[in-house]
Amino acid sequence: MLALVLIGLSGLSTRAHPEIEDAVARINAQIAAAPGEAALYLERGELYARHEDWIAAEANYLRADELSPHLPRLAMLRGALSLATGHATEAKTHLDQALTRTPDDLEALILRARTHATLGARDAARLDYDAALARASAPAPDLFLERAALLPADAAIRSLDEGIARLGSVVTLHLRALALEESLGRIDAAAARLDRLAAESERRESWLKRRGDLLARAGRVAEARAAYSAALAAIESLPEWLRAAPDTVKLTAELARFGGTRP
Amino acid sequence: MKLRLALPCLGLLFALPALQSATTIIRGPYLQSAAPTSMVVRWRTDFAESSIVNYGTERAQLTSSAKAEGISAEHIVQLTGLKPGTKYFYSVGPAAAKVPETIKAKTETTKATAEVEDAPGRAAINTFTTPPPVGPAAPMRFWVLGDPGTKNAVQAAVRDAYYNFTGTRATDFWLILGDNAYPDGTDSDYQKAIFEVYPKTLATSPLWPALGNHDGKSANSITQSGVYYDIFTLPTRAQAGGVASGTEAYYSFDYANAHFVCLDSHDSDRSPDGAMLQWLKADLAATSRDWIIAYFHHPPYTKGTHDSDKDTDSGARMNDMRAVFLPVLEQGGVDLILTGHSHVYERSWLLDGHYGKSPTFDATQHVKQKVTGRADGDGVYRKPRARTPHFGDINIVTGSAGHAASATKPPALNHPAFYLAINEAGSTVVDITGLKLDVVFLNDKGEKRDWFTIVKE
Repeated sequence: MLALVLIGLSGLSTRAHPEIEDAVARINAQIAAAPGEAALYLERGELYARHEDWIAAEANYLRADELSPHLPRLAMLRGALSLATGHATEAKTHLDQALTRTPDDLEALILRARTHATLGARDAARLDYDAALARASAPAPDLFLERAALLPADAAIRSLDEGIARLGSVVTLHLRALALEESLGRIDAAAARLDRLAAESERRESWLKRRGDLLARAGRVAEARAAYSAALAAIESLPEWLRAAPDTVKLTAELARFGGTRP
Repeated sequence: MKLRLALPCLGLLFALPALQSATTIIRGPYLQSAAPTSMVVRWRTDFAESSIVNYGTERAQLTSSAKAEGISAEHIVQLTGLKPGTKYFYSVGPAAAKVPETIKAKTETTKATAEVEDAPGRAAINTFTTPPPVGPAAPMRFWVLGDPGTKNAVQAAVRDAYYNFTGTRATDFWLILGDNAYPDGTDSDYQKAIFEVYPKTLATSPLWPALGNHDGKSANSITQSGVYYDIFTLPTRAQAGGVASGTEAYYSFDYANAHFVCLDSHDSDRSPDGAMLQWLKADLAATSRDWIIAYFHHPPYTKGTHDSDKDTDSGARMNDMRAVFLPVLEQGGVDLILTGHSHVYERSWLLDGHYGKSPTFDATQHVKQKVTGRADGDGVYRKPRARTPHFGDINIVTGSAGHAASATKPPALNHPAFYLAINEAGSTVVDITGLKLDVVFLNDKGEKRDWFTIVKE
């Protein structure tokens, strides 16, 4: 066991990651000078974890834990490692610990939200996402998408719209909301969202085609044809060289086949 | 980094003589998020003070002014209402609010004077040129640096080789492809590796960065926090063109008739269902530009200081960029892909459809035009003007702006996707003139070690 830990500490696979050789060598030298310095093991563990050398990372975290169990970030990083290696229950223990020590640790909060989600604890996950989104000054769209995945469709749409209000008209949030709106039969809301996307886009035709598809699926044939015709009109307004592009030619043919008429 | 509210106003209303000698500029100024009618100017002072930029189209008449609310040592001011394709003179900080008589008197500035004025810590008058209107062609030159931030003599030599090469031709903007500041992408690393190495270019040419693994040591993409996100102001709401990504981790912008896409190959979700890929599809579908250029850190192909065939290398990020993102980029009609990470220069044939490991590479299938792309050789690459999926793109790994691979243990450099692979320090220069795109790889001695041309018809 000791041998395994020692092997893990030194990270046998550094040759597969040439870029970290220098960094490891630098930390190794520091550890040689101060073998009792827990933060150095944490730093080396983090380095290995970034390169998904989980065994070496864990061995270094364990050593750091032996030397200084309350080292800042240690519990969070151990939680991240456990989650990445599929040990969600263990991850939750570490992340609970991290957040007890540092309640404002946004990274730990997001990791715990994901851990709860992995464990199927949707309400707990949602609460952590709520807290993370409230705390983050510039949350990535992914966080709104992850939270939306935990919510009933209606609440998910509201959550996504909250993201759009905060981050701007982010297409990935709109796309998820569109799918949910259609699943709820809110065709007018979905059509309005597509209108917004078309209005904001330099190339309106593909959004108008989506509008037509949406309405066609809902059985609103005349409106679908109108949308396809609007898409054809948008294509007509493009310069000739763009109209001649293969994907535009293909789209034009599809629109005509679906009942769109040229202006 | 979010902008504080900027308040553009006319006139020199913000003269604060008492503060003129109180602070020193210790970083910048540097230019961010350039758009035809707006520019973000950033700088850092040793003490908090007002954030003011005075600007104008004449050196002696900085008659417009913009400021951000409050006082700060980290200054972020957005200039709006600018004219596209126009040269502006500008000066930052309260000390600059009043144009010194000595500067007013100058109608012509020699290069030597400009260098003195551009020295860090001085209240200087710098210049920038706003991007031209989006859509119509306009000549552009941009400089591409992969893995530059070593802070060593090689980095300086690569920089100076480019400065000698470009001479008086302005750099319209520049890209840094990640691993911008070794070893850990800390604020101190950035200070020494970027801000103290390229002060002149930072003050005059907008910088568009990508996140690398070393930058990722001090930054977090999901929370958009940490040094990289603190230092750079990047468009999240399509302020400079393209489609809103909602994050500074990946974004796009337009310059004249070219569309640029920056991806985060290090720290954002790279899965097929992930937000970044969904955004990329929408962004590519929405552009009408003649040229599409993508840049990010981890190369789809390399046999340099990294090996894109090894799943264990770099957490399979190179695999992801090749297998997940490259098909979407090629479907979207990308022309040029610029990456770093591997500290060499590798340049592909005009390729399409190679998404596996190197043993699966089949030149008869994946090389779309088997020429070197050289007008003075066997001919340039030719593509249709209209965006055409899978017509071929050039992949360039240009990750040697700070150091090349070891000369004593040279890398294999034998990936079959590449026409040319060189283990030399250097940087890449791209010129676009209408429907012609010229690329040069310039080594640290100033030698042109590769060049090619793509023409659209």
